[in-house]
Amino acid sequence: MNAPRQLLRIQCIGCIARFLGTPIQRMILPTGAHLQTPGSQHNYGQLLRPFHCSAVCSTSRPSQTQLEKTVEDETLNKDKGLVTHDDLFERAARDTKTKADFNRVVDVFSKKDIRRRGHVEFIYAALKKMPEFGVERDITVYNKLLDVFPKEVLMPRNFIQRMFNHYPRQQECGVQLLEQMENYGIMPNVETKVLLAQIFGEKSHPMRKYQRIMYWFPKFKHANPFPIPHVLPSDPVELARFSLTRIADDLDAKITIYQYPSTDITETGEEVMRPHIVGIQSPNQRSLLAKHNPCRPVFVEGPFPLWLRKTCVHYYLLRADPIPSEEKVEEEFDPEMIGLEQSLFYPQRLELDLERDMGDDFSFDVDDVEEGPVYAMCMAGQGDQVTLSQWISGLQETCPILGQIPTVFRLESGPRELQTTSDAQQTPEQEVETDQIIEEEPLHSQRVKQ
Amino acid sequence: MSVFPYPEISKEELEELHQLVQPVEKFFNEDVDSKKIDHEAVIPPETLNGLKELGLFGIQVPEEYGGLGLSNTMYARLGEITSLDGAIAVTLAAHQAIGLKGILIAGNDAQKAKYLPKLATGEHIAAFCLTEPGSGSDAASIQTRATLTEDGKHFLLNGTKFWISNGGWADIMTVFARTEVVDKDGQKKDKITAFIVERAFGGVTSGKPEDKLGIRGSNTCEITFEDTKVPIENVIGEVGGGFKVAMNILNNGRFSMGSAGAGMIKRLIELTSEYAGTRKQFNRSLSEFGMIQDKFATMALNAFVMESMAYLTAGMMDRPGVPDCSLEAAMVKVFSSEGSWTCVSEALQVLGGLGFTKNYPYERYLRDCRILQIFEGTNEILRMYIALTGMQYAGKILTGKIKEMKKGNVGVVFEILGKKLKDLVVKTVDFGLTGKDGVVHPSLTESAKMFEQNAAHFGSTVESLLYRYGKTIVDEQLVLKKVADVLINLYAMTAVLSRTSRSISIGLRSHDHEVLLTNTFCKDAHFKNNFLLTQLQKKDNDANIKKIAQEVLAKRAYVCSHPLDRTF
Repeated sequence: MNAPRQLLRIQCIGCIARFLGTPIQRMILPTGAHLQTPGSQHNYGQLLRPFHCSAVCSTSRPSQTQLEKTVEDETLNKDKGLVTHDDLFERAARDTKTKADFNRVVDVFSKKDIRRRGHVEFIYAALKKMPEFGVERDITVYNKLLDVFPKEVLMPRNFIQRMFNHYPRQQECGVQLLEQMENYGIMPNVETKVLLAQIFGEKSHPMRKYQRIMYWFPKFKHANPFPIPHVLPSDPVELARFSLTRIADDLDAKITIYQYPSTDITETGEEVMRPHIVGIQSPNQRSLLAKHNPCRPVFVEGPFPLWLRKTCVHYYLLRADPIPSEEKVEEEFDPEMIGLEQSLFYPQRLELDLERDMGDDFSFDVDDVEEGPVYAMCMAGQGDQVTLSQWISGLQETCPILGQIPTVFRLESGPRELQTTSDAQQTPEQEVETDQIIEEEPLHSQRVKQ
Repeated sequence: MSVFPYPEISKEELEELHQLVQPVEKFFNEDVDSKKIDHEAVIPPETLNGLKELGLFGIQVPEEYGGLGLSNTMYARLGEITSLDGAIAVTLAAHQAIGLKGILIAGNDAQKAKYLPKLATGEHIAAFCLTEPGSGSDAASIQTRATLTEDGKHFLLNGTKFWISNGGWADIMTVFARTEVVDKDGQKKDKITAFIVERAFGGVTSGKPEDKLGIRGSNTCEITFEDTKVPIENVIGEVGGGFKVAMNILNNGRFSMGSAGAGMIKRLIELTSEYAGTRKQFNRSLSEFGMIQDKFATMALNAFVMESMAYLTAGMMDRPGVPDCSLEAAMVKVFSSEGSWTCVSEALQVLGGLGFTKNYPYERYLRDCRILQIFEGTNEILRMYIALTGMQYAGKILTGKIKEMKKGNVGVVFEILGKKLKDLVVKTVDFGLTGKDGVVHPSLTESAKMFEQNAAHFGSTVESLLYRYGKTIVDEQLVLKKVADVLINLYAMTAVLSRTSRSISIGLRSHDHEVLLTNTFCKDAHFKNNFLLTQLQKKDNDANIKKIAQEVLAKRAYVCSHPLDRTF
């Protein structure tokens, strides 16, 4: 890595310069390693100039791209109106915004002015524009942005400068950059550390923030026992499979895909969309269902939302009500099988009148609520009765008892668009239906269309 | 049943036993090629014939039916010799200890007269068919069915049994199947019935022999019954009474594992000490090194304890009446199976690399030994049985007292406090084993005192366990495991004390060596018991162990991150 080596070099040369007794006025530029010798102080007005010496800017103009021309226009046409840095990004890529475009803008800014004028505003603007370009999770982009800061200039040179918050705006900007990194949960690099050391020095606010990030982030990285990947599968069947295994959390549960999404064209020429149906059931649930009393109904309920970061998927349950305690049938123990004189297997019960002591009695748990059994779950492209009946008939192949159990569909209307007033006037009658609650969609959420 | 004095057999019986033992030993030393049997996974017919001629196929069958009619003690003695070859021992045991035992103990005279003569001579071989693919330790889940035909004269048997020893050759099988029984209330229930099934009845097919790790000479295979017609005269006991028959059969066969293990270890000691005495390293023979000596001492101790326990149990079973020694037999089985495994391992270790090769018999003995912990009731199941039987018995006696304690009866609380204080101050426990009228010989006083102390401590621990768990102790397997271990150690100590007292009193050869072995074993067992009992007094790791197991089993994998993983 170049960065650590550069850091080492800077430190060495700093030492040497101090040793030689000359003030470190001419510094090493970030690109290339030109060290201006103390003897050539009278070389003003040339291409390479130290940052902190004020002088007239007279850069030569090699061929420029369109973007650079835009930047030039912006600085020269200041009196024509306020052109913000945001517009730079807007003009760079109008349709598709990619990482390459973003990098290009940053490069253009860095190369335009050796003094990096307005770098603080530029960095703030870039931070705001990052989500649009889709690079907010990319550590290399942050490092590149951090590179915009001029090196060595912002470092405090004596104890007074160190005491008094040297270059407060720049330090705040650095802290904000790291803050955005922290908000998106991105772990900084060793390159970040080297850059921060080069730019701000070891005891600065950004460096402190970096140290705090590096203390906490590794501890929190694996804090979630059920992490959701950042990139979810786009295929609805794969997404359904992932979310159902997530809900079930049972290694024995098996997923069955009852129907793949497809489009059929019927005889009349109409397009019939067949949605996907993915179900999950474990062997325990299957045996529970086999023991279900056919006199009692089972309910198909839904849709229930499941949020995976920013996507919401909906699932449906097949469940039954809990059996009231009066009707519960205790399994009878055959006294011969489970008696005491047998030795092939040890006695399952002892014929004693003693109960468990209070200190060892962990049978009561507040969270242990008596609930009815859930027999299966599914996710479907459309949440209407037709699709779910298909699911039930698919389930019936493995659980034949479903044919005798009455199935009641307790479906709520799925997520719909918020109705405007005109639509509301046209369809008041649709709202009055039993057992249905109209759900309002919260705004600003991306959902899998049901 | 009293444990002191150690059971003896009369002089005549001992002479008769010697007469029997000699030719058997000769046969096993000369005519049995264990290596070939293990390699080819089959016992050659000449060997089988030799065994038949020696009468080893009907050791416990009464003489009127053509067997040797020997007692349990003598059966155990012969078991010491047959154990020299694991496959032969298992074949014989499967034939007589469980295969024909059903007819022997629960069959009626007609069945005995019909089947026993041919079984005793070995012309027909017997097998015991209880285990099924879905039911190993849990015999209540048997699926094989026997339905009565319309004419009421036959049962039709349908089902599969597997891991049946002698399954490929057996002509007579004791099969357990479910039958529908109408009980006193008029309700129809499924109960297990025992049947004598001949291969000649038809519909009996054996699968191919299983390729096993050890006892490869023994034939183990799957047997399928398809509409096999069994006449109702072949029901052992009564219809629906099969369970009791199964339990009695299995309980009866267990004790012989002690003597079999002891015989094998004695043989191993001979072979291994030969090697240790002659091989020299660092200018000294192996037998001079402490760790090797430790191994030999372990082997000697184990053999000693095993045979003491086995013959004590056999002697108790031989007493008149039908004493129920199932608990003691289970304890013998657990101790012997685990003791044999460690001893064979140690013997192999003495030989080092040589022991690992097939040129020496050690690896064969090791492989044959492994099955001892699994068949005839896995050790885990038997430990539960031992502990729970004890708990049931103790519970009945202590229930009243514990209930009083829980109610908080002031008088009882004071009484208990007083007793605890007295125990702290004055630490004597006297059950009457030693002293003027004691049954234990004065040379063993110290060991006997240790035993008494353990027993008293164990008593109070059991009381506190019942107080804590009550009847839900059935679910606390880790606790019951420790209880069972303590019980096994206590029984072992009893057996050795009893045997050594007798040896000193009558002046057997090398009784001073026996005293040494007894004292050593009792001291070791005393410490082990103390450790287990301390763990039982709430100072154990059980909760942590359960938690670890839960997390590992929830993920079905090792849970920790790799030590080389990084987070940044």
